Amino acid sequence: MLDSISAKAPENWEPKIVAFLCNWCSYAGADLAGTGRIQYPPNVRVIRVPCSGRVDPLMILKCLTRGADGVLVSGCHPGDCHYIAGNYLARRKFALLDELLDFFGIEKGRVHFSWVSAAEGEKFADVVKQVTETVKAQGKPCLGQICGDERG
Amino acid sequence: MIRAAFEPSIVGFLCNWCSYAGADLAGTSRLSYPTNLRVIRVMCSGRVDPELMLEPFLRGADGVMVLGCHPADCHYLSGNYQAEQRVHCVWMVLEHLGIDKGRLCLDWVSAAEGARFAELVAEFVSQVKRIGPAGHEESREELSRQDFIWRVRVGMRVTGTEKFRWLVGRQKALLDDKNVYEEQLSGERLRDLMRTVIAEESIRAAIELLTEAGPMSVKDMAEALKLPARTVLEHTAYLKRYGFVELHDILGRTPRYVSPRYTQAKDEI
Amino acid sequence: MVQAEKGSGRKTVGAVLVIGGGIGGMQAALDLADSGFFVYMAEKKSAIGGVMAQLDKTFPTNDCSMCIMAPKLVECGRHLNIEVITNSEVASVKGSAGDFTVRLVRRPRYVDQEKCTGCGVCALHCPVGAARDQFNADLGCRPSIYIEYPQAVPLAYIIDRETCVGCGLCETLCLAQAVKYDDEAWEREIEVGAIIVATGFDAYDPSERKEYGYGRFPNVVTSMEFERILSASGPYEGRVLRPSDGDIPRKIAFIQCVGSRDRAIGNGYCSSVCCMYATKEAVIAKEHAPGVETTVFFMDMRSYGKGFEAYIERARHEYGVRFVRTRVGEVVEALDTGNLILSYETEGGAIEKEEFDLVVLSVGLRPPTDGARLAESLAIALDTHGFLETRSLDPLATTRPGIFVCGAMQGPKDIPETVTQASGVASSTGAILEGARGSLTRRKIYPEEKDIRGIGPKIGVFVCHCGINIGGVVDVPSVVEYAKTLPNVVYAEENLYTCSQDTQKRIQEKIEEHGLTRVVVASCTPRTHEPLFQETCREAGLNYYLFQMANIRDQCSWVHMRKPIEATEKAKDLVKAACAKAALLEPLERIPIEVKQSALVIGGGLAGMTTALDIANQGFRVHLVETAPELGGHLRRLHFTLCGDDIQTYLGDLARRVMSHPSIDVYLGSQMTDVTGYVGNFKSRIIECNKTNGEVNSEIGSEIEQGVEVEIEHGVVVVATGAKEYAPSDGKFLYHRHPAVVTQSEFEEALASGGFPTFIERQDQDGPIVMIQCVGSRDEERGYCSRVCCSEAVKNAIRLKRMDPKRDVFILYRDVRTYGTREIYFEEARDLGVVFIRYPDDEVPIVCSSIVGNPETRCEGNVGKNYDPGPVTVEVTDTLLGEKLAIPAALIVLSTGIVPDERNKAIAQMLKVPLDENGFFLEAHMKLRPVDFATEGVFVAGLAHSPKTIDETIAQAHAAAGRACTILAAGTIMADGIKSEVTKTKCAGCGLCVEVCQYSAVELDDKDNIAVVNTALCKGCGLCAATCRCGAITLKGFTEEEILAEVDALIC
Repeated sequence: MLDSISAKAPENWEPKIVAFLCNWCSYAGADLAGTGRIQYPPNVRVIRVPCSGRVDPLMILKCLTRGADGVLVSGCHPGDCHYIAGNYLARRKFALLDELLDFFGIEKGRVHFSWVSAAEGEKFADVVKQVTETVKAQGKPCLGQICGDERG
Repeated sequence: MIRAAFEPSIVGFLCNWCSYAGADLAGTSRLSYPTNLRVIRVMCSGRVDPELMLEPFLRGADGVMVLGCHPADCHYLSGNYQAEQRVHCVWMVLEHLGIDKGRLCLDWVSAAEGARFAELVAEFVSQVKRIGPAGHEESREELSRQDFIWRVRVGMRVTGTEKFRWLVGRQKALLDDKNVYEEQLSGERLRDLMRTVIAEESIRAAIELLTEAGPMSVKDMAEALKLPARTVLEHTAYLKRYGFVELHDILGRTPRYVSPRYTQAKDEI
Repeated sequence: MVQAEKGSGRKTVGAVLVIGGGIGGMQAALDLADSGFFVYMAEKKSAIGGVMAQLDKTFPTNDCSMCIMAPKLVECGRHLNIEVITNSEVASVKGSAGDFTVRLVRRPRYVDQEKCTGCGVCALHCPVGAARDQFNADLGCRPSIYIEYPQAVPLAYIIDRETCVGCGLCETLCLAQAVKYDDEAWEREIEVGAIIVATGFDAYDPSERKEYGYGRFPNVVTSMEFERILSASGPYEGRVLRPSDGDIPRKIAFIQCVGSRDRAIGNGYCSSVCCMYATKEAVIAKEHAPGVETTVFFMDMRSYGKGFEAYIERARHEYGVRFVRTRVGEVVEALDTGNLILSYETEGGAIEKEEFDLVVLSVGLRPPTDGARLAESLAIALDTHGFLETRSLDPLATTRPGIFVCGAMQGPKDIPETVTQASGVASSTGAILEGARGSLTRRKIYPEEKDIRGIGPKIGVFVCHCGINIGGVVDVPSVVEYAKTLPNVVYAEENLYTCSQDTQKRIQEKIEEHGLTRVVVASCTPRTHEPLFQETCREAGLNYYLFQMANIRDQCSWVHMRKPIEATEKAKDLVKAACAKAALLEPLERIPIEVKQSALVIGGGLAGMTTALDIANQGFRVHLVETAPELGGHLRRLHFTLCGDDIQTYLGDLARRVMSHPSIDVYLGSQMTDVTGYVGNFKSRIIECNKTNGEVNSEIGSEIEQGVEVEIEHGVVVVATGAKEYAPSDGKFLYHRHPAVVTQSEFEEALASGGFPTFIERQDQDGPIVMIQCVGSRDEERGYCSRVCCSEAVKNAIRLKRMDPKRDVFILYRDVRTYGTREIYFEEARDLGVVFIRYPDDEVPIVCSSIVGNPETRCEGNVGKNYDPGPVTVEVTDTLLGEKLAIPAALIVLSTGIVPDERNKAIAQMLKVPLDENGFFLEAHMKLRPVDFATEGVFVAGLAHSPKTIDETIAQAHAAAGRACTILAAGTIMADGIKSEVTKTKCAGCGLCVEVCQYSAVELDDKDNIAVVNTALCKGCGLCAATCRCGAITLKGFTEEEILAEVDALIC
């Protein structure tokens, strides 16, 4: 098993975090944070997907290998999924991924999952703050450089 | 006393075919007239741009004469009518700016009127003498040199604006013919519009000039221009929208504006 | 003209005239045009948009007004079945419902609307510059040739003939040759089946209120002027400056009720919206000018609507807006500074003077000045205030059949109420014109789609300033420059508003000019604006799905307002990602889906019945499900309206019409247990269980299991499940512990039956009746206002006073919220001698009872169930006197609030629609989609949505029917092109995708044992794609390559 592979980052290093938000709840929640002018760190880059269930675990790993410092996947609250149970299935997969990450030696704090509804602008901002802080505290992962060469 | 010693300098724009010939005739006839006039020959009085009528004042003139052919005699058919329209409008600008409109004279001299030319010059010189030196506290306008120059510069900007020039250019046609709606416009209505344009453009020109010198707040400008701050604000907002002034900074609660020309000049330094 | 014949032989014209092009008129027009009627929209001004176009932001979401309205503006402007006739007014109307002949008079525009491109060169050069700019509330100047506002629809200039001297310059300059000086007024006769009046309101002119100095003091402005000051497209470009000297004010005062609740000037009614808009302006002012102090001087805080109370609380606590309860007596100008000194009396009676830099007068809403003339030409009646006369039980119908009203012309109201009424009139109109549906409408024909195969991606990027919403934070020009450097980008530009109609035209021109095969717009959220831009692309021959958006406002400039550099970097990244994905996009096909032309209405109360009748009258089948054994819901407990209409007679009649309607199936004592499907094709299971002993279990219990289960198919769902009356528990207010404590509806029940002797045994028989307001509303448990209680209390107090004039009636309140024309009844109650006592927000009145045979007095909280109750008293702190009073009462009436039904949660989960934080159903958009859910085909009406009055419920029920019918009438709807797709050669036939699909859209082919997707069922969630072991299944529009291209672009 690999040891934790974080390296010391320069002082002013700002992590780049990829966030997969489901169109119906979390993306709408992020929009609501905007209409409410709730400020949060600019480190997150959002990719809109129809459902959190669209995100497969490999996609998350690919984000990390391509140089993302952290990944956030956010979907609807249990029971609220626009596609009935996409979020449940997503979570089941991510629970497995969590254990795999450990095996790969990637700290848990790099990958986050959350539930944000269309009415939770403030919660979205909080999630972003918290994820950004966690990733920042862990520093820049080396994974990007190690695996970077393997990219096509 | 200054007044007694004052010899005004006068610039005369004389058209080639009538007035200039008239001046020559005065010479061949050995008619004497005051030495204050310096003549600039132009092909037609219609060549004299409103800005040209004001420009001499910036350079030290105390009076400007525009002399052309008698009505209907114009070598170029209607150049003199155009000149007349322009002078009337420039008079309105001078009036608005508090400059005695007697400093600008328009008259007709034919090639055969040497004596009339000499008389007109003498009359105008004494008229300007009565008004006093341009930009002097003891002149009729009681303006300092600096103030006078400032006003002339505002006036030149106004006469350079599209709106002013369009109206001056259209004025005669609008009065002679009907307007686009087939209506006859009254001279009074046109003059009212001209006055409004002059008033508005003067304020805008003044704001531009002020902000070209450095950052100014609306209140400072209002004080400098002796205008209600409300009016200045409205025009500053207009100029800002079209990029003629920019927000420079905010001092406490007071935004200051500056012309991009000032910024450019500073950048170049 | 095509016309349909009705049974009577009289013709019904399938067209409607909408008078007024504001938000109400637009919504009505769109709903009607979408449900098969041709719409003429007559607008007085040169552009549609109305007052909403002038607003900067809207409460309670602080949404940018123009941003949320622009899609509707554009849609109206280019809808095939809406003809916008600007500069026009109605001259006369002949005929009757179903067949009117209307004579319209159009004033000349002097500019050819078709030719004008809106470039604005004419206005820039026009020598006449002195006319006041009405759109900017007269705060600036506009030339003689002008446009109403930058995003105007139609985007065409107009010459103000009053000020134009006719110099001819604009004609010389206009390259489009659009100037037309010989334009003349014309008249036109149109035939329509119905007329909708949506003329809106005029703002009150405060000049006559001399004591506030409007017109004399430059720093006293109206709320509309202040709205323009706040707006990015306003006179000061969104910077808060005061008009006297251009300084940024330190202290701003808002004076409420200017021209409202003022009998002296003849406007006795409340304007309904001022408390909220003033608070909004106070909040936005703080955002635009950090550090500014804002104070609202008000009489009663009327934050009665959904989400309003929370907004006020946020304004107070988060933004620090100060609220002072008083009526400002006078405003005088301070010498030299232009500041203003306000004098007012505090609640304690002291006279205060306070200095402000700027004063905003919250002016009221008035009927439009030409309202009377219009009413005359339409031959309809006005009410005493000058609004159109309507009945509370038929709030959208005027006095002439076939002519309807919506919006502020019916009485003061806010945007969602207006939009609700607009959809409502669309439904009422649809019901009377049913036979002529589709007879005059045209279908849109698109140009053939361009074949982009083999061309390779050529991307055009359009970056929006959104006024200052984006441009104020993000450096837009640098984003444009950056976009130009990205791979495959062949063109990039910036726009003030990318959503405006002229920009749509521009985008199409650029598609042609540069042969673009992909379009990227960087602006707001795709959730609201993607359809608009997709339509634009499609009209230019590009497939809908060759479009991509970058959200650089809601998720960038708005949330990183204080980090312009980082925000600009982020915006660049987002544009880069959008372009990276755009390069990979492929054309997708939209498949038509057949709509089951029937509706399921859940709830048989007032809202449910009204909706059901409306939909049925429009010619569609309705299944109405009610849990109770009889129809009527909450309405059964009410007996008369504020203006005296008899509710029970109305209810009985309504229920009879529903029960006997041939197109309505009523399921009483029944419950919906399951719903599947999607818009157009829902399947629901209903368990019918009644006719036994009348007792129905509210839970899905044993009794229901014995019921008969039926399955119905339907195209739409309307949720009208109602709400409940709050019942104080645990002896609060001694309710259910003392016979002389009743709720307002129990009291009404007693009043209706002629008296209330049973309650007041053992009480002082002649003692006062005390009503306590806000019981279960606006408290810690339920932060919202229940909206109806003040009017209900006033209604019953008046009734009581009429029956028993000598009896004292006290109403203990916090704010009297008799908004709109209900204010008149508040006045009447006061005139009748009803005493209103205000109690402090944090000191709820306490009810105490003496005990028979015991000197002790028990107050709520320390009283058990078993005691012998004697006379009751109410202890209350009177804020006016500053004293604690103890009022012995004959009867205590609790104005209990409205609470959501706990069954909402189950229904919400079944339908996949959200609830708000209080447990009411949450609509798709608070302002502009008040009866829709984000889930297509599902609508809401009545108390299930939020507390509301009877007339509002009826209007909303009509609205839900109107919205539902836009789907039902369409017959088919186009399904989204985002579907899963299987690469046969990669599929191993493991069946994982079949297992995860929630819609049974994937199955294994019998022959080859590989997965096959049923595109009609596929909803495009992508679960299968994310599950597949061998990458054989993908989601079109969100392929792995596309997503990873975004990832790469975002993090490199």
